[in-house]
Amino acid sequence: MLKENYQNRIKELPESIRQFAGLVIVTIIVISFFFILNVMFGEGDELVEKMKIEEERIAQEKKLSELISKLPSGILVTFDGTDHYKLTDDIYEQVCKATKLIPQRAIMGANFLNYRAHEIYTINGNKIDDTFVKWDKEENKCFAGFTVSGDNVGVNESITVSGEALSFLSTGIDTRVYFIKNF
Amino acid sequence: MDYLKKYPKLFQWLFLLIIFFALCFSIDVPETYKFIRGQAEFVKDPNQSTYVFLGKEVRYYAFDVFWRLPPLLGWLPIWINDSLFFLMNEWMPMEFWNEDTQEYKTRPLVLEISRTLTSFMTFLIFLIRETLLGGLETIVAFTSWDWIDKNPWAELPGLPWTIVAAGFAILAYKLSGKGLAIFAGLVMVYISIFGQWKPSMQTLSFILVAAPLSFIFGLGLGVAAYKSKRVEKALYPILLVMQTMPQYAVLVPALVLFGVGDHAAVIITMIVAVPPMILLTLLGLRAVPPEVIEAGRMSGCNNWQLMTKVLIPTARRDILIGVNQVIMVCFSMAVISAFIGAKGLGFNLLLALNQLNIGLALEAGLCISLIAILLDKMSLAWANKQTDYFGNLTFYQRNKNSLFFGASVIIGIILAYVGTFIFKDTFNYLFEVPHNKGISTADFWNKGVDWIFDTFFVYIKAFNTWLIVEVLQPMRALYLRMPAVATLVLVVGAGYLIGGIRSALVVFGLTLFIALSPWWDRALVTTYMATFGVIMSCAIGFTVGTLCFQSKRAAAFMLGVCDIFQTFPSFVYLIPVMMLFGITDTSVLIAVIVYATIPATRYTIEGLRSVPAGLHDAATMSGVNKFQRLTKIEFPLAFPHMMLGLNQTIVFALFMVIIGAFIGTEDLGQYILKALSDKNGAGIGLTLGICVAFIGLIFDNLIRTWVGQRKKHLGID
Repeated sequence: MLKENYQNRIKELPESIRQFAGLVIVTIIVISFFFILNVMFGEGDELVEKMKIEEERIAQEKKLSELISKLPSGILVTFDGTDHYKLTDDIYEQVCKATKLIPQRAIMGANFLNYRAHEIYTINGNKIDDTFVKWDKEENKCFAGFTVSGDNVGVNESITVSGEALSFLSTGIDTRVYFIKNF
Repeated sequence: MDYLKKYPKLFQWLFLLIIFFALCFSIDVPETYKFIRGQAEFVKDPNQSTYVFLGKEVRYYAFDVFWRLPPLLGWLPIWINDSLFFLMNEWMPMEFWNEDTQEYKTRPLVLEISRTLTSFMTFLIFLIRETLLGGLETIVAFTSWDWIDKNPWAELPGLPWTIVAAGFAILAYKLSGKGLAIFAGLVMVYISIFGQWKPSMQTLSFILVAAPLSFIFGLGLGVAAYKSKRVEKALYPILLVMQTMPQYAVLVPALVLFGVGDHAAVIITMIVAVPPMILLTLLGLRAVPPEVIEAGRMSGCNNWQLMTKVLIPTARRDILIGVNQVIMVCFSMAVISAFIGAKGLGFNLLLALNQLNIGLALEAGLCISLIAILLDKMSLAWANKQTDYFGNLTFYQRNKNSLFFGASVIIGIILAYVGTFIFKDTFNYLFEVPHNKGISTADFWNKGVDWIFDTFFVYIKAFNTWLIVEVLQPMRALYLRMPAVATLVLVVGAGYLIGGIRSALVVFGLTLFIALSPWWDRALVTTYMATFGVIMSCAIGFTVGTLCFQSKRAAAFMLGVCDIFQTFPSFVYLIPVMMLFGITDTSVLIAVIVYATIPATRYTIEGLRSVPAGLHDAATMSGVNKFQRLTKIEFPLAFPHMMLGLNQTIVFALFMVIIGAFIGTEDLGQYILKALSDKNGAGIGLTLGICVAFIGLIFDNLIRTWVGQRKKHLGID
């Protein structure tokens, strides 16, 4: 009865008002539809923040790669007494931040002073689990390291070898750690 | 309040616009959002979100949904590709007899059907092509290469151009009289002496296969739709989408199913040409008066006899107009299908445009246009020709055209034979003028283009820069700046205000499909380009149409011009604009404007003509002047018809914008073009085509609904 009353009242309204109300309802439905989808799929500001960080990272990387391309190809060192190109403190930090790779030569050199790490590395087919190159703000030094793990005569072992990255190899395209001082 | 009561619609529209702009201003562009970026493809970024649907992984940037909807239909192109691959390579493997290897071979059913269809089409094309130009393939199809080696005389010789020219002239004379016969003769002579004979006959052979087959299928389906409501309902959505689907987009799946070449072009042309034939057959059959049907039944016709002896002959004119439409579509496809390897004038035109050789492109384009005009006139003459059932004619009168053709065959053969002596050491020009050995005006046109550039470069560049910087870029930015929610609200609200809830739902569905695809930004660019073209075309078309309507001669002349321009394949429009503006957005837009002005002008003249003469007299009697009559009577009454012109203008503009991708635009068309050269492009091409078709259908729905209501209101339906 109540429902019929409402229906009749709506029917009695002028056409233009009914149409206007319809338009308002349609608009609300569309906006609500978007609202629901936004709850389900939209990441909004969170995504923007993530993308900004990524963009900054890319910009930083671009800057660093520009710097690296300006460095001479060959060995770059942080100490005196060689004929190799000596990095200034500033550039040393930037090169450290730009460097991602630790080649086999540097790993084998570091392993030379860590017999167990050397054994695991050799037994498991020169497999490296993880590598890192990071700038230590407190000490103002660049540290590099790697983790070797695997089966060593029935025992599953994991050893992290790390030390100061004293020299780098510049290929003209990127830089790699050349020497890790782990003693 | 009085205003509100007096103009309720105006206030509803105002409300809708306020909501639209409020949404536009309240939703900012996300800081890291990059416009025109394909969201779910190519880029692999850890910041992307992913979802898996039907086993397909879709990557996308989950921006604020109010700004851009996530590509929830991103799986569709991948799914279409995979489905096509499955159909072609895995579905229903069967044993089929292989003639070449003389053994059974396992092949998927669809692949076998596609290959059989392909070889049948290839056979038909070669049969006609070799009848016109000569060759071996047809004979080999019935015999073998060994047999033809032993019997070299069995090669099809081809017809001398003189015979084909005479044949066309005689046929044109039979259909329409002297005027058309002279035109047909001149066209054929022009084609021949300008060295375009071979590509023209290649194009003609392709059309002579595609057009009759399209006619048969179109007629059959039209009759089926007339007889059964179910068939009609099933066909309706396909016909609707095909009307606004860019022909480009259909090419991509055809590539996967039928490969590359003339055969694929014929099949795809049929797919595009059949819908208008179905529609016109249906229209013609529906227009048959019930009295005629009743008379047929009274005479004892069964269903078959009623259809073949009564309905189809009565609807003959509409059906033949359908044939005319089929031929025109075939011509427009002759150029477009060159993208998938169809030989002929289209291929030459494309090649010339690719090399930026405007002169050669113009020659090929002119040839296509001339043949198109000729066949258009001939098919229309056929449609309008009445059979004289009562004339008491002599044998000569009845068969004079056949006799003349017989005589021309004999004369043609003699001339070709004589040619072998005259042109002993060179090509036999009386048999065929080889391609690029005839007269060429290409150099002249190329020099003309150079001269235009040298002389007007500064002005053209200034105009170009002004248009791009001051008009196009801001307009493009405005379109791209629209948040998805604002666009949806505007479109759905407009649908509701124009056609009620049903129309609102239809346009909501269509817009949502595009918004949920990964190409919303590009769809906005397509819409912006089409909108610019439509605004300019309507401004020009409505003005020219109204001015021409003031004089009967001018109106007739303008309709004739529209007829001729409409027969030009759309690609031809790119030639002159490229001559003037080079490869820029301006070129595309000017081509769009020229192409889309045709329906705007035509419908304005026809709309103004449709105003009853009685109303003119009544207005004159009431003392109104010419201007008042135009603005107070003729325009309001003709406006619904003019709006149908607007509808056509939008479809034409969309087609041209998509074709403009060939020059290099940043819209959906460019992706369709890319999809053509991508082995996994079928799904993308088809989905993009549907998006373009839906843009057209949104406007089509709104305009048609409005026109229907307006006509009802004016009582002129």
